[in-house]
Amino acid sequence: MASSILKAVIDGVLTGGVYALMAAGLTLIFGVMDIINIAQGVLVVLAAYLSYVLSTQLGIDLFVGLLITVPTLFVVGVVVEWAFIRRLAGRERTAMSILVTYAVAIIIEGLLIRQFSTDYVQLNAWYVDRSFRLLGLYLPYIYVFGFALAAALLAALYMVLYRTRFGRSVRAAMQDRSAARLVGVNVERVATLTFGLGVAVTAAGGMVFGATNAFNPNSGYDLISRLLTIVILGGMGSIGGALGAAVFMLTLEDVVSVVWSPTWSTLVFFAALVIVLSVKPTGLFGRAAARAQ
Amino acid sequence: MSERVVAAAEEGQVVELRRSGRRPRAVANGVRAAAILVALVVLAVFPLVFSNPAVTTIAFFTLVFMTSTTAWNGFAGYSGYIPLGHAVFFGTGAYTLAIVAQDLHMPGGYGVFWLVPLAGAAALVVAIPFGLIALRTRRHTFVVITIAIFFIFQLLSFNLGITQGSSGIQTPTPPWFGGAFNIPFYYVGAVILVLSIAVSWFIRRSRFGLQTLAIRDDEDRARGLGVQVGRVKLVGYVISAIPVGMVGALYAYFIGQIFPQSAFDPLFDITIALMAFLGGLGTVSGPLLGALVLEPLQQYFTVSDPSYYLIAYGALFLIVILALPRGVVPTVGAWIGNRRARRAAPSPAAAGEASGGAPGGTRYAATVRSGE
Amino acid sequence: MGSRRVARMMGLLAAVGLLAAACSNASGGNSSSTSGSSSSSKQPIVIGASLSLSGDFSADGQAFQRGYQLWADYVNSHGGLLGRPVKLDIVSDASSPTQVVTNYQQLITVDHVNLLFGPFSTLLTVPSAKVAARYGYAMVEGAGGAPAVFQLKLPNVFDVSLPVADDLVPFAQWIASLPASQRPKTAAYPTSNDPFTEPQLPVAEKILQAAGVRTVYFKVFPAEVTDYTPIADQVASSGAQIVLLGSVDVPTVSAFIQAFAQQHYNPKAFIATAGPDQGASFVKAVGASNTEGVMVPNGWFPGYPNAQSQAMVQAYIQKWGGTPSDVNADVAEGYSVGQVLAQAVEATHSLDQSKIIAYLHSGVVLQSVQGAVQFDSLGENGKAAAFAFQWQHGNLVQVLPVGAPGSKAAEYPKPAWGG
Repeated sequence: MASSILKAVIDGVLTGGVYALMAAGLTLIFGVMDIINIAQGVLVVLAAYLSYVLSTQLGIDLFVGLLITVPTLFVVGVVVEWAFIRRLAGRERTAMSILVTYAVAIIIEGLLIRQFSTDYVQLNAWYVDRSFRLLGLYLPYIYVFGFALAAALLAALYMVLYRTRFGRSVRAAMQDRSAARLVGVNVERVATLTFGLGVAVTAAGGMVFGATNAFNPNSGYDLISRLLTIVILGGMGSIGGALGAAVFMLTLEDVVSVVWSPTWSTLVFFAALVIVLSVKPTGLFGRAAARAQ
Repeated sequence: MSERVVAAAEEGQVVELRRSGRRPRAVANGVRAAAILVALVVLAVFPLVFSNPAVTTIAFFTLVFMTSTTAWNGFAGYSGYIPLGHAVFFGTGAYTLAIVAQDLHMPGGYGVFWLVPLAGAAALVVAIPFGLIALRTRRHTFVVITIAIFFIFQLLSFNLGITQGSSGIQTPTPPWFGGAFNIPFYYVGAVILVLSIAVSWFIRRSRFGLQTLAIRDDEDRARGLGVQVGRVKLVGYVISAIPVGMVGALYAYFIGQIFPQSAFDPLFDITIALMAFLGGLGTVSGPLLGALVLEPLQQYFTVSDPSYYLIAYGALFLIVILALPRGVVPTVGAWIGNRRARRAAPSPAAAGEASGGAPGGTRYAATVRSGE
Repeated sequence: MGSRRVARMMGLLAAVGLLAAACSNASGGNSSSTSGSSSSSKQPIVIGASLSLSGDFSADGQAFQRGYQLWADYVNSHGGLLGRPVKLDIVSDASSPTQVVTNYQQLITVDHVNLLFGPFSTLLTVPSAKVAARYGYAMVEGAGGAPAVFQLKLPNVFDVSLPVADDLVPFAQWIASLPASQRPKTAAYPTSNDPFTEPQLPVAEKILQAAGVRTVYFKVFPAEVTDYTPIADQVASSGAQIVLLGSVDVPTVSAFIQAFAQQHYNPKAFIATAGPDQGASFVKAVGASNTEGVMVPNGWFPGYPNAQSQAMVQAYIQKWGGTPSDVNADVAEGYSVGQVLAQAVEATHSLDQSKIIAYLHSGVVLQSVQGAVQFDSLGENGKAAAFAFQWQHGNLVQVLPVGAPGSKAAEYPKPAWGG
């Protein structure tokens, strides 16, 4: 039992990294633009399909393929923001963003179904089924590689946000849009680039998701509620918070699954959010209401 | 069906106009009363005119969604909080009817309809703790916590003994055959709908409604002005849950079986939110119009071409949301208001004020976003 | 905001609304011509069905559609039914109970179809069977075999397939019959929270426990799981010698196989209630080398030694290409639905639903590509054959019951993953 629990903790930490990668884009978009991007789950799946095409049609390795899928998703994000999100204004902007991104999500889903049908596929490479032995436990390569990728990308994202001029503008826009505009930040441009960046990071998450799960165009819906939970728990706009919350939630879920039952572990996942928010409405790592009304 | 669209649209215009105060009150009241009367008559005779069961089936589902959207809008539209967990009340109502009918060995028939108010009461009981927890948070956090609570309920219905797991529960089979089957369901649904509209309309015009609108505009200021914010929000939330629970029960009885995925359906909330936004959030007639158009359209799209319906449905939404960001009823209302105002009073300022929604300068937008 | 643009949008919206109304009216208008009185000789017999052509069950729905289609092609090329051609009227329900109710109402009262075929899955069978019952239609179906359907005691439901609760019985009996030295000591039962899988495992567990196979893991996982790793890892660390997985689809099975391979855990036998029967899409998801030795219970397989079944498989390949192992068991279930209903129509020489229902309840033994069919009072097929199949060298072959015609020797213990 002890080794089962240890294994569950390791599983949770490793998958938590992958979830953090998928949630990082969402939290960034949340923080800067104050909108909920329901399409994030479908974009994960879109990225997974891109990786699938590159690896099956052109024989490009999954990790090398990221050099193509990440910029592609960046462009997708920029286009979506420019075409639809930017046009939302007024008091119901947040709520409208849910609807607009939902509409975008079902269009992408429809296109994916037309292209790939609803058959399940999975990404394949030599490291997908293999594992290595460490301290008496088998660790799957794909999870370890995925975690390393997540750590590297999140660190890069952190550097961008805290060490560059662009990052300063992003953080300024996050704290106070009008003030940022006053000091000369082009808030619209920052928003577009942030959305692009948020979606681009998703491409990496999508690849690892597709290598660890069989997926079809509908798979995004199971993801989005979990990602939102992680983002809220970690505090909106906080990359570190997303990582912490993802690792915490996935570990909790995996341990409950082992010591109790998998059916209850999913419930515990959502119950944890409710309990935490009842005690601390700003989330686990949240600042005091970043932008109260 | 088109007559009803027109009737509802007219009603919406009238509501908007009345608010604008451009017309003498008595005339506006008369027109509105006539429009309401027409709508009620259409509602009452619809299944007699279009008696084909295929049509009355869609009409019944449309009533379910009109009621749910109206109730949801009665909270979301007036308070500015966007809950995406009302499927909890739909499912609670559905399971209440199914479980009680089963435990009492109720035979199918009119008697089962008495469980519908009970289902509404069950939704109320569930809504209180749900609201107490969720309403501590605001904005995005509120949205996400309602989604989380929704999933908790769905998973509970899978796992608790009382809901009998994934196989679900059968509801009694009524002894009505052929085309006669839909009629009792239609009229019970129609009664619930009319009651829900009445409540929504009443809230909109009551002191309680004003307090709710004050919360939407600026919650902290409302609190400062002496509004008991927590209580107002909770009461509004609970009231919005009751009709949803009632139609959930009706739906379970109509379908004949209830199971976790159909009782607690994640698409339910996104659907009613879309309907409300499309028609016009915060108006009485907008959500009705949204449901009236979208529910039949959705059923039509699904049957006709499964490979394209997602794309067409999504594209339609994008067009409508981007072209009419405030929903059909407010935009059209503002447009008509503006035209009337332009004709009557040449002062543009007065026109903007009167319509309550001049382009780009909504009353609400001015108060809320200026703080940022 | 330009008022003209608003007006255009309103116009568009009104047009869409009117269009929808007009369409439902138009199809209502058409219907009188297709229904008519059944006396005129060459008018087609219209058969209605709603299938999940999009949504959660779309893969199964599309396979069912092919089964229905193949049957109709066969009948039309062999003189038709009662001398009349048959025509299918298939609509999509996106796996939604709301839509399925609307669809069967539409088929019966607007399209005035002569006969009905069932939808896909237990969860949609119940609501649609209730609609059919209101109009006295027989509901012959091939994918609603869970106890929930028969509990209804509806007089008009007939499931041509194997009642799902008994699916795993041949496998459990085979394990129990192994000599004590070979018989596994322990078993694990992870199962999805689903009306198709949940009734199966306790039946098998009872048989196995009686034979001394200890249960070391029996847990239910949610219907929608985004990461199976912890569940599969725990099964692996339980060290169970055989695994009975209650799965409804390919991704579940492939996730378990992937995690088992990563953990270097290789049970002596591995059977999954659904997934390995999905032919090519199963192989694509798990990789050809991992299929070896994986088992699945079912009432049919592409190599089933039945002349009609072989002809159907050939017709399938002719029409859609591929190899026999690409033919999904759903195709045979759909085809059987058509065959059974056709036999009732020919025997009663009418399209009278009450005569058809009485005939199907009469205890007569009918033939289908899945073998013999005989309905009990609840509409369950008491004669259905139960098999277990195993992937051997890239083909799904029949291995159980041992000694049955067509059964080959099972690979036991199963070879290592990737082997």
